Order: sequence, then C-alpha cells, then structure tokens
Amino acid sequence: MTNLHPTRHTGGAFIFINPQLTNYIVCIIIQTMEKIMNTNNTIVAISTPLSSGAISIVRMSGDDAINIADKVFVGKTGKTPSSFTPRMLTLGTFNAVDFKEQALCVVFKNPNSFTGEDMVEFQCHGGVLITKGILASCVKNGARLATAGEFTKRAFMNGKMALADAEGMMDMINAQSDAEIRAGFNLLSGELSKTAFKAQEELTDILAEIEVSFDYPEETIEYITKSNAKERLVDLYNKIEKVLASSSTGKMIRDGVNVVILGKPNVGKSSLLNALIKDEKAIVTPIAGTTRDIIEGTLSINGLRFNLYDTAGIHETDDQVEKIGVDKAKNTIASADIILFVKDSEEDTAEDLEIKNLLKDRKHIIIINKSDKTGNFSTEENTLRVSALENKNVDKLADKLYELASENKEMSGGLILANQRHIDALTRANGHLLDAISSMEAFSLDIVTIDINLAYSALGEITGNTTNEEILDAIFSKFCLGK
Amino acid sequence: MKHINPNSKYDAIVIGAGHAGCESALALARTNQKTAIITLDKNGVAFLACNPSIGGTAKGHLVCEIDALGGQMGINADKTTLQLRMLNMGKGPAVHSLRAQVDKHSYHDNMLETLLNQENLDFIEDEAIEILTDGNKVSGVKTKNGLTLEAKAVVVTVGVYLNSRTIIGEEINDSGPAGFKNAKGLTDSLASLGYEIRRFKTGTPPRLLSSSIDYSKFEAQKGDYHIQTFSFMTKRQNKNTHVCYLGYTTEKTKQIILDNLDRAPMYSGVITGTGPRYCPSIETKIVRFSDKDRHQVFLEPESARCNEIYLQGMSTSMPKDIQEQMTRSIDGLQNCKILRYGYAIEYDCINPLNIHPTLESKKIKGLFTAGQINGTSGYEEAGAQGILAGINASLYLRGKEQIILSRDSSYLGVLVDDLTVKGTIEPYRMMTSRAEYRLLLRQDNADARLTQIGRDVGLVNDERYSAFLKKMKNIQKIKELSKKFIKPNPELDKFLQNLGEAPAPNGISIENLAKRSKVEPLDIKRKLGIFKRFTNAEVTEALVEIKYAGYLSRQNQLIERERKLEEKKLPADFDYTTLKGLRTEAAQKLNEIKPLTIGEASRISGVNPADVTILIMSINRK
Repeated sequence: MTNLHPTRHTGGAFIFINPQLTNYIVCIIIQTMEKIMNTNNTIVAISTPLSSGAISIVRMSGDDAINIADKVFVGKTGKTPSSFTPRMLTLGTFNAVDFKEQALCVVFKNPNSFTGEDMVEFQCHGGVLITKGILASCVKNGARLATAGEFTKRAFMNGKMALADAEGMMDMINAQSDAEIRAGFNLLSGELSKTAFKAQEELTDILAEIEVSFDYPEETIEYITKSNAKERLVDLYNKIEKVLASSSTGKMIRDGVNVVILGKPNVGKSSLLNALIKDEKAIVTPIAGTTRDIIEGTLSINGLRFNLYDTAGIHETDDQVEKIGVDKAKNTIASADIILFVKDSEEDTAEDLEIKNLLKDRKHIIIINKSDKTGNFSTEENTLRVSALENKNVDKLADKLYELASENKEMSGGLILANQRHIDALTRANGHLLDAISSMEAFSLDIVTIDINLAYSALGEITGNTTNEEILDAIFSKFCLGK
Repeated sequence: MKHINPNSKYDAIVIGAGHAGCESALALARTNQKTAIITLDKNGVAFLACNPSIGGTAKGHLVCEIDALGGQMGINADKTTLQLRMLNMGKGPAVHSLRAQVDKHSYHDNMLETLLNQENLDFIEDEAIEILTDGNKVSGVKTKNGLTLEAKAVVVTVGVYLNSRTIIGEEINDSGPAGFKNAKGLTDSLASLGYEIRRFKTGTPPRLLSSSIDYSKFEAQKGDYHIQTFSFMTKRQNKNTHVCYLGYTTEKTKQIILDNLDRAPMYSGVITGTGPRYCPSIETKIVRFSDKDRHQVFLEPESARCNEIYLQGMSTSMPKDIQEQMTRSIDGLQNCKILRYGYAIEYDCINPLNIHPTLESKKIKGLFTAGQINGTSGYEEAGAQGILAGINASLYLRGKEQIILSRDSSYLGVLVDDLTVKGTIEPYRMMTSRAEYRLLLRQDNADARLTQIGRDVGLVNDERYSAFLKKMKNIQKIKELSKKFIKPNPELDKFLQNLGEAPAPNGISIENLAKRSKVEPLDIKRKLGIFKRFTNAEVTEALVEIKYAGYLSRQNQLIERERKLEEKKLPADFDYTTLKGLRTEAAQKLNEIKPLTIGEASRISGVNPADVTILIMSINRK
C-alpha cells in the first residue's frame, strides 16, 4: 500500500504535509537558527574590506561581547570596555595573541545597538594581518565567527529591523555577511546567484511546457518533445557546471583545498600529518576527496576542507633514496593549491634550493620539522618550525593553512559559508538535472519532472522561488488554453 | 417525495443538490445521519450545466478519489458514459487521466434517483434563505416556503446560484445557469456569519442542433479501444456509443469577434466578476493570443436522448446575433442552428480562507461549505469537496475528530490545502501540476490511498471493502509472483522485438521486464498472457509500483522529511501583531488565516521564510 497520511482535526491541532519546496528551505532555516540559538552566542566579524586600507573595523555581538572585550582591550586610562561610556570611542591597546596594537573601541549596550544585543567594535589600523589577528583574539576568547548575514539576522530577530518587502527570503537565503556586501566582496556569490536565477527561469519555462502537455493534452500547441527538453536541460547543466568550475573558490569550496606535502622520506611527513589531523582546530571529515591521488587525510579548518596529499612515489625514487626528485616535485606541485615543503634541517641542500625556487610563485609553507626552536611563523623565510612528534607548534600550521587558502578575497569570513550554500545548492541542482537527463530515455516525462522539480527546488534555496505558482503563471501567459 | 413537516428536525441539512450537494447528502445519510437536501428545482439535481463530460486531466483523479471514499460520482459517470478516453497515455502513469463523455440527462436522472432512494435522506424542493445559529453553532435553516428546519450541521453547496446573473451580450438575466432560478437570500446570511463574499464569473458555449451540422467537415474523435471505468464498483464493461468531432475556428470567426468587441460584455465593462484563466471565452482567447489564426472546437454529444451538441472551445457571452455569425463561420457549421446560446454567469462565492481544511467555517461550528461557493470550478472539484464536507459534518455530528487530507494523500488534499491556506483569486481548477507528489497520487491507486479512510468513517460498505481488501491482496500476490523468471521463448522475443527493446536471450524476471522502459505494465498481461487471473487494475497498480519503485521511494523520503517539520504547531488564538520582528503584512495574513502549524504558515502567500523563522523562534522559546 502506498503511504497513507490521513491526519485528524483535533480541536485546534491541524497537521499538514507541506509541499516539499518551501519546507526544504524552512528546514535549512531551522538548522541555521538552531545553530544560532544553541551554540556560541557571541559572534565576531571583520566589517570592513580586508585590505591595506587606513582603518579596519572588527565587531562583536552577543551576551559575551563586552566580557570578551575586557580580556583583549585596555583603555588609555586603564579602564576596560565594561566601564566605558556606551557609544563613545575610547583609545587604548588591543592585546592580540601575537601583538599589541593601538586601537579605538566603542561599546553598545543592548538594546541600543545595531543588532539589539551587546556589541563591541574595534577600529584598528588597516592591514590584513592586524585585522585578522584581532579577529582571532576575539575568537580565542570565546566569540565565534559570524555566519553570512548573521548580524543583520540578529538585528531582525531582535526586532531592530522589520524586513522590508524586498528582503525576507532573499536575505535569509542569499545573505552575505553584511559587512562584506558593503565591501563589495560578493562577486562570486553574485555570479552564483545570478546563475541560479537564470537557471530557474529556464527551468520554469521547461516545466511549464511539460506541464501544459499534461494538463492540456488536446490543444493546438506545439508540445515539448523529449529530445527538445533533453537538449535544453543538457545546455543548462553545462552552463551551471561551467560557472561552478570556473570559480577557483567554487572549486575549493566544493572539492576542498589541495595540499601537497613534499619532502624526503623520514623527515616526518606522516607524523606531521597525524599531528595536524589530531589538532583540535583541524576536524577530520569523512568526506571522500577526488580520486586522482591518494589522499592521506581530509580535514576541515574553520569550515573549509583541506585534502592532504602525500607525494606518492617521490620517496620511492629508487637508489636516490635521499633525494626528492626535482622532476617529480615539479609534476606534483602543479596540481596543488598549497604546498607544504617539509625538511628536517635548517640547512638547504642544492636540491632544496632548487625546490624552493620552484615554490617561489606558489602558495607554500616551508616546514622545518624536528626543530628545537619552534616559534611563530617567519614571514621572511616563509617558514614554520614545528616538532610534529612532540606536537609542538602544529596548531600554527592549521592557522597558516587557512590563512593561505583564504587570502583570496572571495574566501574570507562569512563568504565561505554563503558561497558554500550557493555552491551546494547549484551542485545539487545539477545532480538532479543529470538525473533528469539520464532518465529521459528510459522514463516518461511525468517521471522526468520529478528530477526537474528537485533541481528547481534546489535553485529555489538561492532564489526564493519555491512554489508552483510561477510555473502555472508561465503556462497561462505562454499558451492559449482552455475550453 | 414525502411531505415535510414545517418544523422538522434533522441531524444535517445540505443546501443545494449539485455535484457537491449530492455527495455531501449521500455521505451524511449513508453514515446514518438524518439528512435533508434542499434544492430550488429537482430538475437541477447533478445538472451538467457546462460540458457534458466527467473527468479529464487531474479531474479524473478526483473522481477516482471520490469513488475510493465511497462516493457516487464515479458510479454515476460509469452508468451514463457515451464515450471514454484515457488522456495522456504515453506520458506516464502519474498523469493518466480518464475522461468520459456522459449523457447529461441520464446523469441527472440517475443521481436524482439515487438521492430519492437513499435511506435517511429527505428531498426538499425549496429555497434556503437563512442559516440559523445558536451562539457559535449552526442550528438550522429557514426556507422561502416557510419551513424552519432544525439541524446541528449544515452543508452549503449552492454552486453558482447565489445572486447569479447570466449575460448574453446586452441581455442580462437575473437567473441561475441554463435558465434555472437563482438563490437570493443566502448571501446576506453567509456574510452575517462572517464569510467574506466575492464575485466570480464563468461561462459556457452555445449548444447546437445536431442535425444542422455537416460532420464531414470535422475530424472524428473516437473513444479508447480498451475502455476503463472510474468506479471500483462498476462491473459492467462500458462501450463507446458516441463520437466527438474536432474542428477549427476560421479567420472569419476572428474577424467577427474583433469587429464586435464593443458589444462583448467581457470588454465593455458589463462583467466585473473574476473569471478563470484556464477556461477563457473565445473572445478572450482571440484578444489575448491575437497571433493565433485559429482555435480548436470540439463537438460533444449532450445526450443520447436529444439532438443537442455542445460546442466546446466557444465559450462566449457575445450577443445572440454575433454568436450566430461566429458559429456559422466555422467550417461545417454554416447552416447550424443554435438551440441555446452561450452565456457568462456571475455569482457570489466566499473566500475559502474563511474555512478550515475540514471545510468547516472558522467562525460557526457545524457549518460547512463545498463546491463552487468555495471559489472552485468544475463538477469534480465540487463533488470531491462535497464528499469531504459530508464526511466531516457526519464526524462532527458523531462527536468524532474531523478529517484533514494531506497533500500526499490525494488531489483532494492538495485542493483543500491550496484553497484554505493559499486562497484563490480566480475560480480554482485542479491541475496535475498542483500536486507535488504526483507519482504517488495516481488514479490507479486512489483506493489504496483512500478507501481505508472511507471505511473508517463508515462510508465504504462491506461489499466495496471486501473487494478492496481482495484487490490489495492480489496486488501483493502479483508483486511476489513478479520475482518469477520467464524462460526464453519465442513469444517473449517477439514481444521485446516489437517494442524495440533489447532481447533477453537468457530469459528475464517479470520484475525486470516491467522495468524495461518501453514495456507498459498492462502489456505484460495483455500481450504475454501473464497474470491473466488478475484484473487489469490489479496488474497495473502492482507493476507500476515495481516499475517506479525508485522514484516512489524518493518521493516518500521527501514526504517523511517534511512531515517532521509539520509537527511544529502554532497556537490557534495567537495575535501575531504582538510578535516582534514580524512584518506587518505577514502578521495580518497570519491573523486572518490563523494557521495551526508551521507548515501551514509557510504556504501562506505574504508570509515569507524570514517570517516563518520568527514563528519557529517564537515557538522554540515557548
């Protein structure tokens, strides 16, 4: 028997089964909201363009914002932010993990703030490292990175903002971190959502043409043929695929950042890898990577996936056991996003120098393992000294990896999350399109519409169009129908 | 008809004996409720005021669903079929739709007879003019002839008769459809009970004298070779006795209409009611799609007993002289005689947002509405709501929980959910594209979806129920037997070869044969002689489920996922304007509709997911 869901009217308790489309989105919103509600309540984000501008602003919002500020900021007079006059700029010192920085701080007490919660803003000198350092210090002291549009969302949730008509769905689903939108950093998402809108428009047309043949089978209209539908779906699929593939950020988000570990045998590559995976910042994820290489491990740093590749074969360079094999290295690093060059000594052999030369124009970190003198990352030498076996300084490597990957503007902060959602939705939509295309031969059109509708609803997570009203409207505006 | 005591007491009264009213009254009487059905004119019972056919795309599904619940429409259509076609063959099982041309006189006669012979049902020819209430409960009905009938439940199924007027060019008649009397008193009564009154419009084409038509100019449209039935209970094999004909309007038709638009009530401002987009008049079609040179018309027999032909495709409210010119501009109709002119009809109806998905009023307990009064169009839509209203009125009278049909249970569930949650701004027609779980909601499994519900409410009798159980058992059997292997044989080779399917030199299991893309489920029985001892319906349902198992389970997964979200309930008496952060429009809509679950709220137009988020947050906080 097919599923039966008779539901009962119990004096005020109605149960309904939702149309799949809207609910999927609601589902996502619930998840997001539950995240917001249940996990760390205080959020932080960089609110200005991440560049070498004159000043940068980092802001925090939430119950703990002022407490956290107390731990990192001291005013010139020795007061901490909890005793600052609200909404007055105070000069002082920001004590970051790695540096001290003169900065301005302003405190907003709830409900008199943008979000309606306690908020703290730091205005510091511009520059990527300083700004990120301030951000990192806030995180270290208990804040968490804001998700896309989370400040706006909170403002909205706390009744500080009644969403204008134009907002709503689009904002919830499509929102970037509000700061980044202002900074004009949403190029990628802009492109992705534009793709989604266009793709959905085309799907609306295709669906309307298919649906009209079901609901009006006896009209004098040219009904869509399977081959025409297929052709248009293939076309659409290719367009989406192209957009997904052309964005390196998109690729990174979808497939992960490829990190190749280069080094002679016995320099401690695998202990480094293990230490990295064990590090609390690096969460090992069960997602399988691409199959083109042997992935030694997959880990997620701040929500971004990293695929760690060992340089398979290099350490088997026959008799030249002690050598890396420069030719092999050349080939290997070609496909890497980031290269970790692991050595166990401070000195460079001739071959090391040659390899360093190869890495010159690539994102890379030189790691001196088994080092006694671990310390901060040396920008000058592009070198980090760690002791993998003793698990010393490995956490810095995770930070550095993330920093390198997110140097790309598109990857910064909340945008990763926003993009991830877009890319995820587009990728799923394309999966459904592929299903539709491949079932076209074997199945009748009514079956094929199941997959097309799934693609439509996946795109709806970006565009907000999730009802079948659009399709009905398209039917009636396109065709002359009816008795 | 027996004499009615002017102060009679009933459990339930049904006002109106159209397609909704008949199903409501029968559902009530058959579940042992003492019921009266009031109609203006017994000749108007189950009258097919528009096209002489039952079913069609999505509507065929509704008829099968009415039947599965224990209703009458399918049985009646089967009894009076003149021609039958399964539409959308070749487009897949989800959209197969039965449509029968029926004899409209026999259809009416049969339904009237069914009502008159129904136990527990009194038939009253009168006009209901007021619905009586006691506090927030319905208490009876007052009629024009002075009856004051007591009843604890009232179902209003007045169709297009409320304050209706028909329009033919400059001629406006204070009348119901097809010259029947209209109903006047009830609109005020409904308005005073809290229903928002609206004005909708629909129309119908001219009827022609058959002998005045030159059929040689038309293309004959024959019925199906393999004829099927709507009702599970119909044993008789129907025959096609009549033919329909297809023709086209001409350049001249177009010109006549364009030249006379100033006399068209649709364009001269006479008609103000909202008409349906899917059922436009010929003048609307020509104006809106001016690039089309011609439009289809169908000649459909109205009855075996009369000479009347329905001219489908030519719905119009043009003046009579223009209607004559227009009609005669069609090839083969040059000398045709119009027996009855086409007309537009405007009528009062209510805003369906005023009713619960049980079809009960949100304000008055025991008061139900069904059919065109709820803003729908179509016999099938009306009949389906009628049976639901009848069932729920009966459950109400018996103090039991009323039924809400979910969107994944039936087209009826989709229809009622759309109406009561989204509302409608035009006469609502059922369409397959409105059902998101189409593959689960097939005609062939309507009984599997709904007969148990019909049984539980007492509407499915023992005979139907045992036949249903037998069918379900046989379907199970077929599914088991389908694992069997067919050894290679010439018959199988030929079968596959004819379809252009790859051969199966080592044989094939029935299951895998059914899954082959070009194999139609029923062909396995018809052409290979497998499962001969089972009925076509049984074989179809079993093999469709095997063939599409993957898709069906995916649809079920989606339903499961959404069901979890459906469990989030909202309070019935909450004032949404007090909820911080909610947009004014959303708050107003929510206050108007008072959804009882988050799911319902999420489907309300004007409530966007951001608003839904607020609702979720607010219930999470409670």
